[in-house]
Amino acid sequence: MDLGFFAQYLINGLVQGITYALVAVGFTLFFGVLDVIKFSHGDVLMLGAFTALALFLGLDRLSTPTWLSLTIMLCLGTLTMALLGALLCKFLVLPLKESPPLNTLLITLMFGSVIRESVRLFFPNGSNPKPFPALLPETSINWGNLNLRLDSVILIFTGALAIVLTHLFIQKTRMGLAIRAVAQDEETARLMGINFTKTVLMTFALGSGLAALSGISTGLYYQEINFSMGLMLGVIGFSAAVVGGLGSIYGAIVGGLLFAFLQTLGAIWFSVPAYKDVFAFTVIIMLMAWRPTGLLADRSAERV
Amino acid sequence: MRPVVLKTVELTVSFGGLKALNCLDFELCEGQFLGLIGPNGSGKTTFFNALTGIYSPASGNVFLYGEKITGASPNKVYDYGITRTFQRSRLATPLSVLDNLIIGNQRNLNFGLWQNIFDRKRFKAELKKQTEIAEALLSRFSRDLAALLFKPVSSLSMIDRRRVEVCRALISEPKILLLDEPSAGMTPDETRALMDELQDWRKQHPLLATILIEHEMELINKVSDTCVVLNYGEKIAEGRYSDVATKTSVRAAYLGED
Amino acid sequence: MAANRLVGRSFCGTRLITMSDLKTKLEILLGVALCVVVLYGFLYLEHEWEIGLLLVILPLAILFLKRANILSDYQQAARTIPRFTLISFIVGVLVLIVLLRDEHFALLMLTTVLLYVTVSLGLTIQFGFAGLVNFAAIAFFGIGAYSMAVLNYHFHALPDLLIILFSGLTSALLGALLILPILRTKGHYAALITIAFGILLRTFLEVNDVFGGPQGLKVGAIEILGWNFSDSFPSVLGGGSFYMAYAIMALLLAAIAYLLTRLIEASWFGLNMDSVRLDEVASASFGINIPRWKITAFMLGNFFAGLAGAIYAAMSGFIAPASFNFSDSLLLVSIVLLGGIGNAVAVIPAALLIVVLPEKFQVIQEYRLLLFGIVVILILRFRPSGLMPRGLRQYFPRSST
Ligand SMILES: Nc1ncnc2c1ncn2[C@@H]1O[C@H](COP(=O)(O)OP(=O)(O)OP(=O)(O)O)[C@@H](O)[C@H]1O
Ligand SMILES: [Mg+2]
Repeated sequence: MDLGFFAQYLINGLVQGITYALVAVGFTLFFGVLDVIKFSHGDVLMLGAFTALALFLGLDRLSTPTWLSLTIMLCLGTLTMALLGALLCKFLVLPLKESPPLNTLLITLMFGSVIRESVRLFFPNGSNPKPFPALLPETSINWGNLNLRLDSVILIFTGALAIVLTHLFIQKTRMGLAIRAVAQDEETARLMGINFTKTVLMTFALGSGLAALSGISTGLYYQEINFSMGLMLGVIGFSAAVVGGLGSIYGAIVGGLLFAFLQTLGAIWFSVPAYKDVFAFTVIIMLMAWRPTGLLADRSAERV
Repeated sequence: MRPVVLKTVELTVSFGGLKALNCLDFELCEGQFLGLIGPNGSGKTTFFNALTGIYSPASGNVFLYGEKITGASPNKVYDYGITRTFQRSRLATPLSVLDNLIIGNQRNLNFGLWQNIFDRKRFKAELKKQTEIAEALLSRFSRDLAALLFKPVSSLSMIDRRRVEVCRALISEPKILLLDEPSAGMTPDETRALMDELQDWRKQHPLLATILIEHEMELINKVSDTCVVLNYGEKIAEGRYSDVATKTSVRAAYLGED
Repeated sequence: MAANRLVGRSFCGTRLITMSDLKTKLEILLGVALCVVVLYGFLYLEHEWEIGLLLVILPLAILFLKRANILSDYQQAARTIPRFTLISFIVGVLVLIVLLRDEHFALLMLTTVLLYVTVSLGLTIQFGFAGLVNFAAIAFFGIGAYSMAVLNYHFHALPDLLIILFSGLTSALLGALLILPILRTKGHYAALITIAFGILLRTFLEVNDVFGGPQGLKVGAIEILGWNFSDSFPSVLGGGSFYMAYAIMALLLAAIAYLLTRLIEASWFGLNMDSVRLDEVASASFGINIPRWKITAFMLGNFFAGLAGAIYAAMSGFIAPASFNFSDSLLLVSIVLLGGIGNAVAVIPAALLIVVLPEKFQVIQEYRLLLFGIVVILILRFRPSGLMPRGLRQYFPRSST
């Protein structure tokens, strides 16, 4: 194949892959501290994108400059979702800590459905796809068959930066240390005087903020969002996290990129575009069956 | 000497860098009552888990009547006639006491589709038999408990749950019984009653070999034929309790000296 | 002594029809009659205020019955003669169908409820007994529906009952594709795998011309012994809407599914499935073959869903991918959770509420997913065992003494 085409696929795949990785990092964080799956993650992502859109529509009336709008959208969108994540954790996830893990999964799944329906019903004309403003510079370089869009580069860079910062936060700060301690062993962490609830809420806020970020990136990249976009992105992000190895940030990155890679491969091989997802999921589910604990996480036995 | 029923050779289990069991050589004879002791985290429970197929050993072998069963799945191990209790109780709490006991008697249940779903008369007869067995077994341990046969386990006291767990392990009349701190949380009197019943059961089943993990040394002294001491996954002593207890290495392990 | 309690009175000597027996039976019949009247009102009434009134009176009545211990006495009575109770309820619903014979829409709703009950019973086995989450219930329902459409078209010579059976089997067999990954992975992953399966199946149907693409397929009506179900009900039998035949068929299916679910629960099968759900480590340590029970539960549940889907397809005469949405799978799971996980009876009132309420209230129709989502969240948060929690396993009818 032509090198330009190849590079083009690579860039597009990278944008996708980073978005998935952002979602997957959230799943990995939640699972790390609390051993729960938060299924509403994808819908939080969607709500983040819609919040940003609403902010933009408001700011547009005040004719705010683009860079300022973008900053406000990013900051407020992320913060609101972080808050929502923490609230969800406090009122729906933590109270169910002692009940079967399935209940947490169900309650967050239902919460996701509530978010989805609320956007569909209460956002003006919410059941239709919404145009998302193109706020990033639209310049692009043509280089043979490669059309390198500046916004792609910015998105890849931002996503990677967010993941690196998250990683640093977890490795280098006190809060990050607390998160790791809780993930390792809740009892011991409590005994060491770590504020368990605060740590868990912080983790949920962090993960949900990242989801909002990836929602906004998706909006900026495709310039369109809709109320059901979170479902698929959530399922993909979860698969990515599982395949990489739940609980490992590197795993989430690897999983996210792998999924995007498989989709790209599927898009090249199959003439019907819808098959690229069928293909990617089939491979991913086969990988899951082969390596149930993921490609990167170590295989630890359940303590009996 | 009675024949060896269970034997491990250089059994090793590791979690990441930690060797929870390190090259353990171990033998258990028919009818023997063996006490397994050692400080917290010394690998006692891990040993049970490795025997019953819950953890897979990194190296070494397990032999049952001379036949290699290393890495056999838990179901297989049960089929060989090894049953156990768990240190942290693992009963099906929403189910009745009867249900829990019948679960323990898998080996003797008929799982034919015809009998279970269509020929309910025969199923009823089997149920009646299982109920009688369960009731008889429970009432050996506690008359009051036998009256709670149709109550959910969640309504039982911790002590009764322990008893139910022991009964669940006994109901299939195993050849080897593994007890992981069965008397945790019981008063000395209750413990004594439980042990008396166990001894009674052993009299009727003289071939049953038992391994008991226990922190109460008095008890080990009283009931065990021999005992094995573990420390950091290694066997540091073996023999009659009175001999073992005086060993300096054992005292050091318990007092945390090196 | 305990064994005696279990096996009940048939072991206590000859069975005489005593006065108390008769009284119990009359009580059951009275209950059935009451249910039929309430259901008739629920399905027949059209004005929102009428239904609203019914919905205000009904909970109050239930509360009263509960307070006066009539409800628990009734349950007690039903437990002593379950077979009689089941037959009475089946006859009751038949009477209801006859009463509603000219009401197309009411019959359509009733049939849908019965089909949803069947699918929910499948979920009860999978999720309530064996602990396997399945968020693709509607996909398996859809597989049944599409199999019906395709098989009916290509093998018209085959008897339709056989085709329905094949449709159920197709659903179970396609579900078997998921078994390996589900068995190899832990609880939450089954959720992921089934969700992905549901979404992908829909995509697959949409892009595939063999299955009619987004426009869907037409489905031939069921024909049994020359009687075409799409004709109106034979006048020899009193005549009525063509939905009557489908309603009766769905009733039979739901009744069989219910009986089977109950028998499974009251046998070693149900016991082992419960054990697998509650503690896999302990189960395996006592010789329970975990894959065997998970596979049994999964295939059987999907089989139920496939059968229901086949009847649904024939009844609607037309199917399209858009009728098999992820949100419908969520509704089905909601039915199980709302009723009480693992309680086979509870899915019936739950299915009634979830299917019929939105049809009666325009407001609810639009907001139904939101509303049910909130309701299920509240249930999980404050009453996780559902409105009618499952009781202890009862292997045989309890003796009346
Ligand atoms: N699943 C597991 N994953 C990681 N480490 C484990 C696991 N199971 C046991 N360990 C470690 O192996 C060592 C031995 O544990 P084990 O439970 O066998 O000790 P024990 O002798 O039973 O102690 P206790 O008397 O407290 O019950 C401990 O350091 C424990 O932390
Ligand atoms: Mg232990």
